[in-house]
Order: sequence, then structure tokens, then C-alpha cells
Amino acid sequence: MNNRDIVSLSIRNLLRRKTRSILAVTGVIIGICAIVAMLSIGFGLQEGFRESLERWGNLHLVTVFPTGGYGSMGMVYYDYGGGGSGSQDNKQVKLDNKAIGMIEGINGVSGVTPREDAYLTFGIGKYVAGMSVVGVRPEVLEKFNYEVDDGRNMRAGDKNVVVFGNQTTSYFYNPKKSWGSSYSGEPVVDVITDKIVVTPDWSYGQPQANQPDEENRTEYKEYTFKGIGVLGGPDNYDTAYYAYMPIDVLQKIREEQAKAEKQRYDKSSYSQAMVYVDDIENVKAVSEAIREMGFQTNSLNDALETMQAQARTIQTILGGIGAISLLVAALGITNTMIMSIYERTKEIGVMKVIGANLPDIRKLFLIEAGIIGFVGGILGIGLSYLLSLVMNTALLPVISSMIGGSGGSKISIIPLWLPLAALGFSTVIGVLSGYSPARRAMNLSALESLRNE
Amino acid sequence: MDDKALIQVKNVRKVYRMGEEKVIALDDVSMDIYRGEIVCFLGTSGSGKSTFLNMVAGLEKPTRGEIIIGGIQVHKLDEEMVTLFRQKNIGFIFQSYNLLPMLTTLENITLPLIFRNVDKRRRTAMAKEAMKAVGLEGYERRRPTQMSGGQQQRVGIARAIVGHPKIIFADEPTGNLDSHTTKEVMEIIVKMVRENNQTLIIVTHDRTISEYADRVVTIQDGNILDIQVKNQNGGSNEQCQ
Repeated sequence: MNNRDIVSLSIRNLLRRKTRSILAVTGVIIGICAIVAMLSIGFGLQEGFRESLERWGNLHLVTVFPTGGYGSMGMVYYDYGGGGSGSQDNKQVKLDNKAIGMIEGINGVSGVTPREDAYLTFGIGKYVAGMSVVGVRPEVLEKFNYEVDDGRNMRAGDKNVVVFGNQTTSYFYNPKKSWGSSYSGEPVVDVITDKIVVTPDWSYGQPQANQPDEENRTEYKEYTFKGIGVLGGPDNYDTAYYAYMPIDVLQKIREEQAKAEKQRYDKSSYSQAMVYVDDIENVKAVSEAIREMGFQTNSLNDALETMQAQARTIQTILGGIGAISLLVAALGITNTMIMSIYERTKEIGVMKVIGANLPDIRKLFLIEAGIIGFVGGILGIGLSYLLSLVMNTALLPVISSMIGGSGGSKISIIPLWLPLAALGFSTVIGVLSGYSPARRAMNLSALESLRNE
Repeated sequence: MDDKALIQVKNVRKVYRMGEEKVIALDDVSMDIYRGEIVCFLGTSGSGKSTFLNMVAGLEKPTRGEIIIGGIQVHKLDEEMVTLFRQKNIGFIFQSYNLLPMLTTLENITLPLIFRNVDKRRRTAMAKEAMKAVGLEGYERRRPTQMSGGQQQRVGIARAIVGHPKIIFADEPTGNLDSHTTKEVMEIIVKMVRENNQTLIIVTHDRTISEYADRVVTIQDGNILDIQVKNQNGGSNEQCQ
């Protein structure tokens, strides 16, 4: 018997008992739909976590602190989630150029820069703005995939230049006017200009009333900078709320600031370094390698992993619930097939007597069960997509408040492989459910079946 | 007529165990059946005639003795081999027709050919030929439930002959039919068998059926009681027991 004939005969048999076949298929539809929908919620959750973390910063970045530095410097940048896991020994390792060079040599690292943070005042004409400034090696911004919307990026050799985060341009205001009237959220000056004054003096440009008394006054230097660009993507905090300048220049400002404030400043070691990892998959390994050197590290990826592990746990539970309904469906298929065999005992006997091979009989029933699984799978997947659509549109506000609002724009995500896997799974479940009944049919004695008159 | 018998049954005995009790269905039966012969086994219910047919068809194994068909020791074949053997050599006609209800007339008739893996065009042609032979032209798309008993049995006959088997077994082929239809159906069967030089073995309790046979074998209590030769041309004179 060739396979086409077997399939055609199987379909005929299924159509003969329409109600029962439909019920068995419905069981599979519900089972598959439950699994796919539940898993898709899990994927939606994972994606939601990723989306919200990407808004916080760059997932490729690892921040490095000297031991003991983390949490005590007051300069902690990423202090949410994950936690900075430090090395166990308390030996102080300096984060200096030598260490930076070693980090650069770690596999998977595509860019490293020491990082200096400061809060400086910027002046363009009568407009001033205070903002957090990050000093980095000028060539790394491009390596870190920080894109410039306007102007150009920093490059090696740049000295007194500044690249602004896209939100910082609206910080500029005219201190001589009242706050409310001048701050509109829209930038009032063009920051791409040669005439930027940078100073650690927070009272720069302020009206006389806001100036400190003569005796408390510290004399800060003022520097002339060139605004060269405004950052665009990736869309996160780093490219929005910080200004960037070459670290050498910023260190010089800090040094002279310390001098003016009569404090010491150590230029040879850094409080932080930023490490860019090409492939997000490698972030963990790179972090571990850096920790082994005696530093502490922190990355959003640590947080992401914790959150995704949570999402996976939830997904496993949800998938388990779905699996139970598919198990019930499998029992339904087995029951349908057993009933069908009881009913068709005589037919099976007749087929054997007029020459059906034993394996053909088994195949006939296996394929019947497989078709129930396959058809149920296809319809179940269709229904899942529909359900997914409803969850992502009509039910989005309800569900996202229920599951805590991971921040994702979608509740349910069905990756392409999921329907394929589900279809394969449902077919296999069908065939497996039909296996024992099919064997029973094959082993029925032709004679016994015929006597069943 | 061949010298050597097509079917040789040698000292066949069949004992069923019903719990502690033994029931002897066939005691000790030997007989030869030749090619082209129509043999009718006549007996009451429980005489052992159906058991005899089942064993010759390879559906049951004898407790003792040999069944040789065309040189093949059928009683020694395993189930898979015996299925193949049946597929190639034997056609069946049943009392209750046993057509598959979800298939049309044409499909029911092609079923043995489907099992034999005959390609679709060829098997449809063969089935149409068989339908013509039993007078069922135009009924190709009917389903068994839409046909009378006589028509259904004609489908059964077409199904039995479609693959041109050497031997056709008919188990009470007219048991469910009225006397007029019985005559019609038997005439078709005999005509087909004669035309194709096939061997027909009929098992029945109906004496009128035995009119169509070359030899009539009466079975009682598991033994051959009597063999009556009706037609010298078709049968042999060989006496059993």
C-alpha cells in the first residue's frame, strides 16, 4: 500500500466519524493554543525586560571599578539590579593605564576607556547649563556605537571638544531671566559652536544675587570648548543626559579644580572604566575575566540575565500549564483511536483477509492519529496568533498591569520557530497517542474480527 | 485439468481449547482440490466446515496435519507471509458482504489492488472490468449503504475476482439473500470462476447451493461424511477417508 493511499484512507475514516474527530482535534487545538500562548507570554516578558533595560543603557557595556570603589565612591552609575559582584580578596588593584591595557586584551572586548565623571557648567553666550560630563578616550564613542545625529563624533586627537547628549541641549537657559519663562524643554541655543565656556564654577553666568560672598569664593578657571556633535542613538540614558569630552582634558580640568579647592587629585588611576563587548553573549565571560584581575564589574547584562531567568521561570510554569492541556488532548486522541478500533474491528479483519499487510494496518491508524495531531496543531497555531493579537492590542493595558508591567510594548511574542515546533510536537503527540491503539489493531486476529458479526 | 492437486489437505486436525475442555472442530480430514474445480462444503452449524475453510485460507493453523497450496506449505507460513500469500492467491466472498462503508463501490473493489500496490490507473481499469463482469456498471460512486443486498454481494464478488486470484473462497455467500437473488449471485460467481479457470470453494448449509458445485463434500462432526461428484469434468473421483 503506498503512502498516498494510506493517507487518503485515513482521512476518509476520520471524516466518517465527524463529531468524534472534531472533538479530538479540538482537544489538540486547545492544548497547542495553550502551550503557544503561554510560551509567547514568556517571550513577551523577556523582550519587555530587554526593552526596558535598553532604555537604561547599553547592554554591550561593562563598567569596571577598582575593588572597594563600588558603592563607596559616590560615583556609582549603574546601581540597580544585578549588583556589582566583586572579587573576594581585598587586595587593592589600581585601575590605571596598565590595567586598561590588560582589559583591552581580553577576548571579546572591542573597546575600553577609562572614565572620569564631573559636573560642569557650560556657557554659550548668555545661556548656561550644568550637566554631568563624562570623560572618555575620544576615539571610543564611535567604537561604542554612539551615533551622532548632528555634527560629528569625537575622534582621536580631539582636545577641547564636547559631544552633547540629545536631552542636554535643552538644559541651556538664561539665568538672568526667571526660570519659568526661559525653560521650555526646547533647545534655545545651537550647541555646535566654537564659543563654549566650560568651568567647574557652578555660579558662572549667574546674576549677582546668586554669586557667593567674596571671601568664600574659589577662583576657578574657565576653558574654551568647541561643541562638535549631538548624540542620537542608541536611545538610552547614556546618549541622552550626559555630555562627553576627551578624558585628558577633563582630567586637567579636575586637577586644576582640585588645586583651586586645595584638594589632592590623583591622575594616575581612574575611578571607573567602560568596556564595550561586541557580542552581548560574551558580556558575562568578559565580566568574569575582569573580576579575576581584581576589579569589580557591573553591566546591565547582569541585570538582564537575572530578569530573564525570572522570565524563564514564569515561562516554564506557564508552559507547564499549557503542557497539561496538551496531555489531556493526547489522552483524547488515544481514546478516539481506541474507540475507533473497537468500532472497526470487523473492518480491520476484512482488510487483513483480503490482503492488507500488518504494517499497513498499523500505519493506517498511526496516520489517522497523526492527522488529528497535525490538523489540531495547525488550527491551534492559527488560534494562538489570533489570541496573541488580542493580547497585544485589546488586552494590553489589562494584562500589563496584572503582570506588573514589564514595560514591553507587546505581551505576547511568537518567535518563528515556535509554530513550527508546535506543529511538529502536536503531530508527534498524535502519532504517539495512536501508537498503542494502532498496535492493537495490527494484532487483532482477522478471524476473531470476522466472527464479530 | 492438472494432475497434481492445487490444494492438498493431509490429515488435518483442529482442536480448540475452551478452558479445561477440548473441542475437536476437525478430526482428521484429508482431501485434494484441483484447479478449476468448484467444491461445495455442506454442513450444519458447528460441523467444522468453516474451520476447514479458515485453515485452507491460512486464517487459522491446524493443530496437526499439512495444508499445501500450489506447492506452498501454508500451515508453516507466519502471519506476514500468509497475508502476502492471500493477497496474491486468494479472493474472499463473505456472507455479510463486509464492504467498507466509507468507500465507494469502485474503491471497495480496488481495495485488494491498493494493498498490492497496483498503481491507480491500472487498478481502476481492473476494477471497472470486474464491475462490468458482475453487472454493476454505473454504480462506481455508490456507497454500500445505498445498495441492496444483492448489489452489495456483487460488489463483494467483484472485489474477490478483481485481482485474478487462483482460488476463491465463499463463506455462505448467499446467506443473507432471498432465493431469487441467490440464484442470480450464484450464477455470476460460477460464470466468473469458469471463465477464468479459477478454483472455488463454497461453504454453506444450503443444499440448493450445492447444485452449482462439481463436488459436494458433506461434513459432520469434524469429519468428511460423504463426497458427491456432480460434474466429472470439473472434479476428481478421489475418495477421502
